[in-house]
Amino acid sequence: MREILNLGLKLLLITAVAGLALGIVNAITREPIKAQVEYMDAQSRIAVFSKDTEFVELNIDKIKSISSDYSIIAQVFQARQNAQVIGYAIKTTPSGYGGAIELTVGISTDGTLTGIYIGNNSETPGLGAKASEPEFRDQFKGKKVDKQLEVIKSGKLSDNQVQAISGATITSKAVTSGVNTAMKLYNEVLSDDTKLQQLIVQGDAE
Amino acid sequence: MMKGVIKDFLNGLWNENPTFRLVIGMCPTLAVTTNAVNGVAMGLAAAFVLVGSNAMISAMRNFISPKIRMPAFVVVIASFVTIVGMVMKAFLPALDRSLGIFIPLIVVNCIIMARAEAFASKQPVLNSIADGLGMGLGFTLALVMLGSIRELLGNGTIFGLNVFGASYEPALLIIMPPGAFITLGLLIGLINLLTRKSKESSVKEGDRQ
Repeated sequence: MREILNLGLKLLLITAVAGLALGIVNAITREPIKAQVEYMDAQSRIAVFSKDTEFVELNIDKIKSISSDYSIIAQVFQARQNAQVIGYAIKTTPSGYGGAIELTVGISTDGTLTGIYIGNNSETPGLGAKASEPEFRDQFKGKKVDKQLEVIKSGKLSDNQVQAISGATITSKAVTSGVNTAMKLYNEVLSDDTKLQQLIVQGDAE
Repeated sequence: MMKGVIKDFLNGLWNENPTFRLVIGMCPTLAVTTNAVNGVAMGLAAAFVLVGSNAMISAMRNFISPKIRMPAFVVVIASFVTIVGMVMKAFLPALDRSLGIFIPLIVVNCIIMARAEAFASKQPVLNSIADGLGMGLGFTLALVMLGSIRELLGNGTIFGLNVFGASYEPALLIIMPPGAFITLGLLIGLINLLTRKSKESSVKEGDRQ
């Protein structure tokens, strides 16, 4: 009995110290980590548009309530240049081979993709992680949003097709499904002025 | 004293190399060695945690009684890895982006646990640090060898540099999971063959864990 108590107390002490250390480190790092995440989100929007673009966030809860198809959408920003709306930056989180992939899709108001940016992901290094390299990523640039994209493994590519990363079909399909969801959101909601007005956060509307 | 520390360091590097000799930590070894850069990243991240956890467990070795050593080690290692992960995310974001996915993987790396159990819980702090460094660098060495071979054959490059030219048709199998087993098996076989020739007596089956 005494031994059990002794061992239990020792374990309690170890876990308490570990818990305390974790708590302190968490308190110190929480704000810097949050700032980092925001900085990376801003970087990913700049990557699909340009540095002098101004971004205004749209109401994400209302977007999600429109259809369950939009459940993977995390953030939507209206991109403006000189007070003119030039497009939308849509952050989606499709599920890849190793969990959620953070994917920002840029859509211009003329109905083409301005590019995609792949942020945090847990895809296999050397295979799925290649999605963030230009060879795969740049395929999406300039695609028309009126037709859903498809992934093919080989053969000649038509306008709405992209070449899969060899050995990483699941990742390729996940990224493409994220892009397709963003395109659907643009076609069905963002390009419709009356629906769009409801998404602009109050106080921000001019 | 100093001689012992150096010996402990060299031991992990080659004689008891965790990958080629002890054959532990196979999960990250097989999973991340698709290219040489990943091998360096995973290896160094693991080496860093090994040194830290070995030092901590060695310092606490008289406090932790043998009956509760397993849960105690797990708590110490997991806390250490989590703290390293959080600090890197907050203050070293560039390093975090290249090493980020490897850090949580270290928790499940049995090399850390094996060294805590077999070495750090019985030896002084300095020797434990040397052992952690040696084992960590030995692990890095093995991962880089494996990653380089797989990247070279499977992608035609090494550390991202093109070696075979554009006309080379990469052997995709080698960077896919089966290629990891095939390459590692052949590499261990080759090393055994070479060391057996040079030093007949040094391979002791009893050293295996």
